[in-house]
Amino acid sequence: MIITFPHMGDMSIALKALFTGLGRQVVLPPPISKRTLELGMKYSPETTCLPFKVNLGNFIEALEQGANTIVTCGGVGPCRLGYYAEIQQGILQNLGYRFDMIVVEPDIVDIIKQLHRVAFKRNFWEVYLAFRLALAKINAMDSIQRKVNMIRPREVSVGESDFIWRQTVDVIDAAENLSTLRTAWHKAESELDGVKLKSSVRPLRIGVVGEIYVMLEPSINQNIDWRLGNMGVEVYKTMYLSDYINGHLFRKREYLEKFKYLADLAHPYLGHYVGGHGIKSIAHTVNMGQENYDGIIHMFPFTCMPEIVAKNILPKVSNDVDIPVLSLAFDEQSGEAGIVTRLEAFIDLLKYRRLKHHLA
Amino acid sequence: MAIRIGLPRGLLYYQYGSIWERFLQELGAEVVITGDTSKATLNCGSGLDEVCLPAKVYFGHIYELYKQVDYLFTPRIISVATGQYTCPKIIGMPDMLRSNIDNLPPLIDVNLNLRQNNRSLYQAIVTVGHMLGRNAISSLYAWYHAWQYRRLEQAIHCSKPNGQRIGLIGHPYIIYDQQISMNIIDKLNHFGIHVITPEMVSNRQAAIAAKTLGKKIFWSNGDHMAGAALALIQSRQPVDGLIFITSFSCGPDALIGELINQRAQALNIPCMLLTVDEHTAEAGFVTRLEAFTDMLIRRKQS
Repeated sequence: MIITFPHMGDMSIALKALFTGLGRQVVLPPPISKRTLELGMKYSPETTCLPFKVNLGNFIEALEQGANTIVTCGGVGPCRLGYYAEIQQGILQNLGYRFDMIVVEPDIVDIIKQLHRVAFKRNFWEVYLAFRLALAKINAMDSIQRKVNMIRPREVSVGESDFIWRQTVDVIDAAENLSTLRTAWHKAESELDGVKLKSSVRPLRIGVVGEIYVMLEPSINQNIDWRLGNMGVEVYKTMYLSDYINGHLFRKREYLEKFKYLADLAHPYLGHYVGGHGIKSIAHTVNMGQENYDGIIHMFPFTCMPEIVAKNILPKVSNDVDIPVLSLAFDEQSGEAGIVTRLEAFIDLLKYRRLKHHLA
Repeated sequence: MAIRIGLPRGLLYYQYGSIWERFLQELGAEVVITGDTSKATLNCGSGLDEVCLPAKVYFGHIYELYKQVDYLFTPRIISVATGQYTCPKIIGMPDMLRSNIDNLPPLIDVNLNLRQNNRSLYQAIVTVGHMLGRNAISSLYAWYHAWQYRRLEQAIHCSKPNGQRIGLIGHPYIIYDQQISMNIIDKLNHFGIHVITPEMVSNRQAAIAAKTLGKKIFWSNGDHMAGAALALIQSRQPVDGLIFITSFSCGPDALIGELINQRAQALNIPCMLLTVDEHTAEAGFVTRLEAFTDMLIRRKQS
């Protein structure tokens, strides 16, 4: 059993730690490249959403490199993600690949059953350790990334925080136990605290809402955090992998309370869950409008159903809470120049607005 | 004077419209239903961005209607069967209407969610009755009457199998809207082809066929369409070909279409995917239908 799984941002680091800890060999799909996209596009239904195509490309490239077991997620709808696996399996079989597919459904009995298949001669304690390490890696990476996003627009020597981030990722990836990981984490935090900041700037604050895959995968979203940061913007992403795991899988109390609060905020605009993150996109926009953010960037894959619903409601929200919203749909054709131009125009608008408020 | 309630001819109207109409009439309301979809409807419908054509058509119907009525009947239909959803755009439709049209009359947007149990149906019936000044008992009675009426209507369907048979798979709100589907059924009948739509396959047959899928489909329309398509191609007398008609940017159909295509190919039955949007031209559409039917005829001869 040689395991592979789809890419989503830095998730591969955690999943690699998890499956290695469970005693399995892991083949990572090669980093998402033009070829990945081309393979995905070629064999996917035309109008399906981007994550489907990229995942399929990942699977094909990983199978070519010798993986024979694909681990991916299921779901209960109404977002299409829940039915990806069934269709992808059919496509890959028609292409002549031989493999096993392990689909993790959001159901505790099913998870335990699948875990039993994957965990190789491991006792309960070892399984627990593997999970703990993987989760700690996610938490560490997300916490550092948040900090980097804050520092980037303020740092005196450009690129310093990114340098620390890249170094730390490698150490986190290599960490084999919790104590190495924690040392690396603390080291990175203290190094980031030591980065020299420009004292006078008050950067624009932009919230990023929308669909988790495009928000987390830099090769798809044209590395938007980094770009915005270098344009002098403090980026606040409303969703990281750790938020998703703590909220949706472990259902931690603080997250559930926050969901409740957010659903109440969104209720006048969207009265029901529409799958995916549609309702959160609206709720966060209201929330960040009230917290005086300068603008919102709403990003989603082209044809994403829940976010299209959100997109059609956001102009009204934007009007009511007085915050500009830029909706960006990403597909396999999204070019760097197009995105950059739109970001620049949006930032100019926000700067102008701030100036106007300042004078008024 | 009776309360005037507007009922747009779009989306799930094609599945439940006659019951809704009857139900509202039983409650003493005057029901105003929009006419067939026209080019003008499509133009008004572009108020919504990036959604599928049927959603735009629905929006267009609301646009034609909203100034003439006291209420709009736009229930939020979240789920009509256990463990299934309709589709995100249908769930979010009342909110999309509210955000995009100013001065809307009040919407009757009761939640209908049968995903876990049927209680929500009765709650919805009572709530609608209450809005129209009726008590619970008379509302439920009105629904019962409307439901009886539906049974009668459904029994009329019959089929006559001779010549070429094609399974035409698609959402009822695409196939039966003559503007969206370019009147495809008549066109095929004109070529002398017998058309079978998913509604002509019984729920039971479709459900049995859908069991062969690895995972149950969680969109109710998609589930029935896939089940019907599988029943038609796996039966002892399979259809000669399948046409899957969908609208551009329909989310579930992107996957269901692929699924049906995979199965049809495995059984060596021709399957054509037709995608429609507001720019679809009739000439191109007819050419594709002709090519497909010609191919089927030649295939049968050889």
